Amino acid sequence: MAKYTAMAYKSADEMIFGTAKYPVKYGRNFEVGGGFVYPELVPHPRPGSEETKKSLMREYERMVNDALERAVTLGFPGLQIELEHIWQMTKNPDWGGDIAGQTRKLQEDWYKKYGIKSAIRATIADNRKPDQENIRNCRSLELALKTFESSAANGADNLSMESVGGKEISDYAIVRQDIRGVLFGIGVLGSRDMEFMWKKIVEIANKYKVTPGGDTNCAQANVAMFMAGGLLDKSVPHTFAAVTRAVGAARTLTAYEMGAKGPTKDCGYENPIIKAITGIPVAQEGKTCACAHADLQGNLIASVCDLWSNEAVEYHDMFGGTTPAVFTEILGYDVALMNTAIAMGKAKDLQALLINSDKYRDPHSFVVAPENAYQVGKAIVDNNTDYYSRAKAAAIKAAQLILADEKMLLSNFEREVLQKVLRDLESFPASEKDFIEQCTSIYKKVIPGFNLANYGL
Amino acid sequence: MADLSSVFVRYDLKKEAGEKTVAVSKDELLQKVMTAVVDGDEDNIVDIVNQALKVHDPLVVIREGLVKAMNEVSRLWDEGIYYLPQTIISSDAMMAGLDVCEKKMGHSMEKKGIVITHTAEGDIHDLGQQIVNALLRANGFEVIDLGKDVPVDDVINAIKQYKPAMVTGTALMTTTMTAFNKIANRLKREGIELPFVCGGGAVSLEYVTSFDLGIWGKEAQQAPPMATDAVSGLSWEHMRDKYNG
Repeated sequence: MAKYTAMAYKSADEMIFGTAKYPVKYGRNFEVGGGFVYPELVPHPRPGSEETKKSLMREYERMVNDALERAVTLGFPGLQIELEHIWQMTKNPDWGGDIAGQTRKLQEDWYKKYGIKSAIRATIADNRKPDQENIRNCRSLELALKTFESSAANGADNLSMESVGGKEISDYAIVRQDIRGVLFGIGVLGSRDMEFMWKKIVEIANKYKVTPGGDTNCAQANVAMFMAGGLLDKSVPHTFAAVTRAVGAARTLTAYEMGAKGPTKDCGYENPIIKAITGIPVAQEGKTCACAHADLQGNLIASVCDLWSNEAVEYHDMFGGTTPAVFTEILGYDVALMNTAIAMGKAKDLQALLINSDKYRDPHSFVVAPENAYQVGKAIVDNNTDYYSRAKAAAIKAAQLILADEKMLLSNFEREVLQKVLRDLESFPASEKDFIEQCTSIYKKVIPGFNLANYGL
Repeated sequence: MADLSSVFVRYDLKKEAGEKTVAVSKDELLQKVMTAVVDGDEDNIVDIVNQALKVHDPLVVIREGLVKAMNEVSRLWDEGIYYLPQTIISSDAMMAGLDVCEKKMGHSMEKKGIVITHTAEGDIHDLGQQIVNALLRANGFEVIDLGKDVPVDDVINAIKQYKPAMVTGTALMTTTMTAFNKIANRLKREGIELPFVCGGGAVSLEYVTSFDLGIWGKEAQQAPPMATDAVSGLSWEHMRDKYNG
């Protein structure tokens, strides 16, 4: 496995929405990162529709058609649809495969009729339970791999996943403000699991000549970010969540080292860091995912995106049509503005507006702002000797950046948390081997079911 | 550089919490126990409790040290001085101290009541459930933790076996929370009535109150007072009125 030891861009200033160093082409005349931003619509079925394959397929048929129709109605040049699997679509590989096939047929029909460019991302559900089973040899893994195959065989253009390796440790650590556990669960174990999973995913993608897309630290860094919540929430400190994001970037990078080509998954808020390192196109979600959750970087996170997404919107009627239609419209006009800026030579101006809207709203938005994302990425590639070293370097850099910028205002409590995180990080063992031994001793005692063999250790 | 100060308002800084205060005991050893719990000092709580046990009866250490300290932690969280991690770490320390006391007594403390917790079938996101477990245990309840991705039949069988005062279900996705309705219907059909508190992710008030037994849990910290109400005999209808009304 070739590890990244240099940045794809000379500086953060080179990074812009719509253009990636290594664009990806697939689907129906669809190119991501080739100088144009496209919307990626993620529809979610209503509760109850998952009861039978027939009812779920009908639900997806309506949702996809509504989105494509609205895109054509409003003159949008292209649209990617993400089939983000609910549990039942991966548990039953034929369901996931047939829904991908149905979606492809619909996209082809609209393409033949109107020429609208389109593509399908299939995101297979990772239902493995690291603290309860052998995640390298279990039924959930077997079903996931079968569903990757059925999706690729039937029409998915891009295979993606939200893998969960190390979650048993990170869940424990995030609610205890334990940066050691975050570094171990996400930075070390999560990366090792991704190496295992993405070898298999890339093999399947190559077999069916589709694109291995990407992963996201949704199961871990997003847990920290969502628990940190809004400005008044007191669940997880925002500075702690921001450092967790940097660790998540070191982990998510593994997919691309294993051969994933992007575009990355939309809910990977670490993606600006990934783009800076790899130069692959990235999907992002921001203000347009308010249907699924709130975040504090609604504009900023679009600043280097190549696909612009809504995370997930459940199928319902609204005054303006069904939710997939309405959110296609919102996404489509957002990217129209970005593409207009590109065409008029104003992309950097618009990017500056997006960044400055949110950069100092929260430490999390601060860390993923392109100039800081670039520095965190640089810390990763400069220390890419092993998973531990690069994740620790990312965390230290993120903490240092937040503490060093006077405009990034922090409460006394948040500042103390960050200072303690930095002290802890600097006190950890120098070698990965020693760190793993230390963590194994600690977490074996407190996390029932924790099994090093799940991570090839 | 443009003045961007009016673009957003950092309400969190305006609302910054005051200093924490630690619960006070006249007894030096019990004070140490309380301070260790409030500070979440899991490394030293066992030694500190053992020192206190040289002088005090285990029940005194539990009631006057551990429990009072957790009450203080709850206050600090309620007032926004503590974040969730401080509360969880304090709970860990309290449970470690309680374990020492129970070993000295030779039996477990009588629990306030039994609560069964689970995460819905098809859902592996059980962090919310883990938080609920920690808070319930720290508040003196026996928790039967069924874990994540739990089939409906397993929940029903556990309820029949353990006869809990309350059952909880957590789910992240709308397409897994539909198991809650099935559980409630099965219980009703079999003549079992108990408060069934459901929460997490996309689980909504509207959904949970659409079926009998269901009570919507907005936040994990509601679990201990809800369990207290359930143990005291409050019906699911009254609990729904109280928490979801």
